[in-house]
Amino acid sequence: MFKTIKQFPLLICLCGSSLFAQESGPSYDDILAGFADGERWLTYSGDYSGQRHSPLTQINPTNVANLRPVWTFQTGTTTRGRGFETTPLADNGVLYVTGSNNYAWAIDARSGRAFWQYRRNLPGDLTYGASAPVNRGFGMLGNTLFMVTLDAHLLAMDRRTGDILWDVVLADYKTGYAATLAPLVLDDKVIVGISGGEYATRGFIDAYAPDTGARLWRFYTIPGPGEPGSETWPDDPDILARGGGGTWMNGSYDPELDLIYWGVGNPNPDYYGDIRPGDNLYSNSLVALEASTGKLRWHYQFTPHDLNDWDSNQLPVLADIDWRGEPRSVVMLANRNGFFYVLDRITGELLQGTPFTATSWARELDADGRPIVLNDGSKGCVPDPWGSTNFMPPSFYAELNLFIVTARETCATFVPEAPDFAPGQASFGGVVFIDNTVGTGALRALDVATGAVRWEFPYASPSFGGVMTTASGLVFAGDHEGNFMAFDAATGENLWHYQGGAQIWGAAPMTFMLDGRQLVLIAAGTTLTAFALPD
Amino acid sequence: MLHANKSQTNTNKSPMLQFPAVSTRFRVLLFLLCVSCTPVGVAQSQNPLADDPRAAAAGGTLFRAQCATCHGADAKGIETIDAPDLTLLWQREGISDAAVFAIIRNGRPGTIMPPHSFTDPQLWMLVSYLHSVDASRTTRLPPGDREAGGRLFAAQCAECHRAGGVQGGSLGPDLGRLASRRSLDSLRTSLRDPDALINRGYEAVTLVTADNERVRGLIKSEDAFTLQILDSEQQLRAFAKRDLRELSRDQQSLMPAFSEAELSEQQFIDIVHYLQSP
Repeated sequence: MFKTIKQFPLLICLCGSSLFAQESGPSYDDILAGFADGERWLTYSGDYSGQRHSPLTQINPTNVANLRPVWTFQTGTTTRGRGFETTPLADNGVLYVTGSNNYAWAIDARSGRAFWQYRRNLPGDLTYGASAPVNRGFGMLGNTLFMVTLDAHLLAMDRRTGDILWDVVLADYKTGYAATLAPLVLDDKVIVGISGGEYATRGFIDAYAPDTGARLWRFYTIPGPGEPGSETWPDDPDILARGGGGTWMNGSYDPELDLIYWGVGNPNPDYYGDIRPGDNLYSNSLVALEASTGKLRWHYQFTPHDLNDWDSNQLPVLADIDWRGEPRSVVMLANRNGFFYVLDRITGELLQGTPFTATSWARELDADGRPIVLNDGSKGCVPDPWGSTNFMPPSFYAELNLFIVTARETCATFVPEAPDFAPGQASFGGVVFIDNTVGTGALRALDVATGAVRWEFPYASPSFGGVMTTASGLVFAGDHEGNFMAFDAATGENLWHYQGGAQIWGAAPMTFMLDGRQLVLIAAGTTLTAFALPD
Repeated sequence: MLHANKSQTNTNKSPMLQFPAVSTRFRVLLFLLCVSCTPVGVAQSQNPLADDPRAAAAGGTLFRAQCATCHGADAKGIETIDAPDLTLLWQREGISDAAVFAIIRNGRPGTIMPPHSFTDPQLWMLVSYLHSVDASRTTRLPPGDREAGGRLFAAQCAECHRAGGVQGGSLGPDLGRLASRRSLDSLRTSLRDPDALINRGYEAVTLVTADNERVRGLIKSEDAFTLQILDSEQQLRAFAKRDLRELSRDQQSLMPAFSEAELSEQQFIDIVHYLQSP
C-alpha cells in the first residue's frame, strides 16, 4: 500500500498525511484502564480482574423493564449440543466477535451489520475441537486481534480486514488438543491455554510475542519427571506425558503483582484414577504464574486426585476486599466441585472454602485446605461432570460483597473403567450416568464474607449462562431455557426477561456506551442480540 | 498398517478367543478379515464381522470407552445433549450398516457428533455392537390376534393414543411408533404401572388460573416464567406462572394403570400385534 502512495507524492502533498494515518487501536494502557472508557470493552471480562462488573448506570432497576432488542446478528453457523459462548470486544463503534466453528466477525455496533467475516478451513479430523466447536472471544492490542482455533493454533488478525497476520501452532490437534478461550493480552504478551484433557495430552499455558507470534515461555501444568509436583504422580514418564490438566478457560491478571491466575483442568483419564495414584498436581488447581517468566509462584489444588472430571477452569475473580477487618488482596473461584473459594492472591493462602450447592462429595475442608471427601461417587449422586458451575463467568459486586454465580444441582453416578490410550481418541476412563429427572439450577448470590447464599433465583434446569453486574444495582444472567434476564442485585428480584429462543450456554453479557446509549449484548444459539432502552 | 500386520497376526493363534485389549482385538479381527478374504482398507458396504458375536462384544467395550459419555453406557442416549437413543437407530429410514459406519467415521457436521479415527475393523465392531442392542431385537412377540387387538385398541386406548395414522387421541404418545421402538417388557410396564417411568413431556400438572379455572394437563415445556401444556381436553395452552393461583405437579401419570383383570396378558399381546402391523 505504501509503495502505491509513493507514486503519488502530489496527492500526499495536497491532502496531507492525515488521510492515510492509521488509527492505532487500543494500547496496553487502555486495557489496563479497564472500564474507565465506557465506550470500550477491550478484554474478555471487561478488565483484568475478571469481576465482569461494569460501572455503567444508564440502565437501572427502575427502567430495566423497558429494555428491548435493538438488533440481532445471525452467525449462520450452529453449535449443536453446546453454545455460542463468546464475549464481544467493543472499540470505536465496532464489535469484534468470535463464533463457533472458528467463524469471526467485525460488526457495526449501531446496525448489527458485519464489516467482514472470517471462516477458518478446519480439518475434517478434529479431535476435541469437533465435540466442543466453541470459541470464547478475541484478545486485542492495537490493530491486531488474537484468536485461538479448534485445530489448536493461535492467530493474529488485522482488525480492519480479518486478514491473518501470523498463525502459530500451539499443539498437534490430532493428538487431542484444541483451543477455545479468549487470549489474555498483556503489554508485550499474548497468554493462551489449551483444551484436550479428555485425551492423552499434557496441558500448558503459553505466552507469545504479539508482533511475531514467537513463543516467550511455556508452563506445563503436569510436571516432567523429577520436577516439583511429579512426586504426586506415579514414577512413570508416560503417565505424566498424558496427564491432562487442560487450561481451556480464561485467566485473570494482577498488573501490580505481575501475576496471572489460571485454572487447570482434570487429570487424564478423567474417571479412572487407579493408574495415577497421588494428588496429580497441578490438575484441578489454581496456579499463579509470573507473567514475565511463566514461573509458578504458588498453587492451590481444589480437587486432589479428581475422579469426576471437575476441571478447575472456572474464571478466577480478583478483588481487594475487607477480610475480617483487614484489607486483603484475594482471588475468588466458584468451582465445579461445588465449593466457593477465597484465597489470598499474593501468597495462595486459603481463607475460606464453602459449598454453594448441595454436593454430597464433601461439605467442608480440613485445616490444610483439603476437602474431607464423604462420597467419591460410589455412594450415589454427586455433581455431574459438567459440575456445580463451569466456564460460564460469574460476577463480583464489590459494594454488596456478593459473588454471583450460576449454580447447577445435578446427580450423576460414575463407573470407572480402564481406558485404552491412543492419540486422537478420548480416554475418559469410564462412563457416567446422569439422572436427568432431578437436575435443577439457580442463580445464586454468595456473601463473600461467609460463603452463604444471600439470595437465589431458581431455574427450571441446570444452566450454563454467564453473569454480569452493573453499578446501577443490576445483575444480567441467562438460563438454559433461553431467557436473558435482569435482577435486582441486592435482592435477587427478577426485573426483566427476554426469551431469545436458544440456551444461553457459556456466554456472559457485556455492556458499553454507544452514542450516549447503553447497550447490553448476549450471545445465544446462532444469534448475538443487542438490547437498549427505547430512544 | 493393517496389511503390514496381517501375516504376523495369522501366525498368532492364542488370542483368538480373547477380547480384553485393543491390540488383541485387532489381531482377532484381522484374522477374521483374512479368512473371509475381504480386502482390508477398502470401503465396504457389508459388515465383514456381522456373523461373529465376538465383534459385538468387542464393539461394546469400545463403545463404553469412546461413545458412552454422550450416548450412555446402555446406548440409550442423553436427552439433555441431544445424543440420540442408539437402540432405536435401526428403525430410522434408509439406515444401513454402511451408513452407520460412515456416520461414526465422519461425524455429523454441524452437530456435537465428531468424526472418529477408528480403524475399519473397529468401526465394524461398533456397527455389530449397535445391532446387538437394537431395541426391536429384544422384542420377541408371542402369537396373538391382530384384529382382536384392533378392536381392543379402539375401545380402550384410542381416546388418548393413536396407532399411527390420524385416528385416535394425542394426549399420550403414538403407540404405533412406540410399539416398534420399545421392548415388550417396557411396553408392559407402561401399561400395568404407568407411574414407574414418566418420560419428559408427559409429566402431569394441575393448575388454577386467575379466573379460577382448574386445568389438568401434561407439561410440554417450562421455563422460569412460563408453562406450556397439553391439557386434558387435548388443547395446547400456555400460562405465565405469575398469573396462576395454584400450580401443583402430580406424581401420577395421566395414563390409568391396567390390571390383568382389566386387560389380560393375551389382550395386551393382541394389541401389540395390532400396533406392529403395517
